[in-house]
Amino acid sequence: MNNRLKVLRAERDWSQAELALALGVSRQTVNALETGRYDPSLPLAFKIARVFGQPIEAIFTED
Amino acid sequence: MNDQSRPRRPHGPGAYMLVLGVSLVLGGLAGAASAFLGDQPGPVGTAVTAALVTAAMAVGFTVCVWWWRGIDEAAREAHKWAWWWGGSGGMAVGSVLLLTLMLRAEEQALPAKLGSTPADIFVSGMMCILLFQLAGYTLAWAGWWLKHR
Repeated sequence: MNNRLKVLRAERDWSQAELALALGVSRQTVNALETGRYDPSLPLAFKIARVFGQPIEAIFTED
Repeated sequence: MNDQSRPRRPHGPGAYMLVLGVSLVLGGLAGAASAFLGDQPGPVGTAVTAALVTAAMAVGFTVCVWWWRGIDEAAREAHKWAWWWGGSGGMAVGSVLLLTLMLRAEEQALPAKLGSTPADIFVSGMMCILLFQLAGYTLAWAGWWLKHR
């Protein structure tokens, strides 16, 4: 699964640690998400969508 | 699905060390109590020892649940994956190795440290399997994070 997490985070000038705090996960998890090496659960995907104020399908796309 | 709750920082290495420390203290207390009560004659000593060890395990398990609920989902996934593949793989390798050693025990004597009585050898075998599981688990856990970082 591809995602736009890194772009969205950069647009807001957030660090990985700041995003991690907002999501309630570790910085390592944010890094794994951004590099596409870990796909989030549905609850975490909803949380990410809420933090960025965008629908899930605007952030995550299929390969 | 409850994703409306206020985000909080997941447990880090400090919480992990706390769990290890509490487990160590509990294990020490249970071990000391077992050593003391093990000398007591009759079923009362055995029953009290079993009760104390069970209580220590229950407290330890409760602390582990607290830690588990505090780590984030990727960390949980790493532990689950590592325990399933690493732990099971380690157990498989260890058990085959031990079985081979046991089947060829007449040709090659087992190390004296494993014990001489069947009960000693049985316990040593259990501990060996546990060590193999932990080794496999550790390798798989590290591999998961290396792959997903």
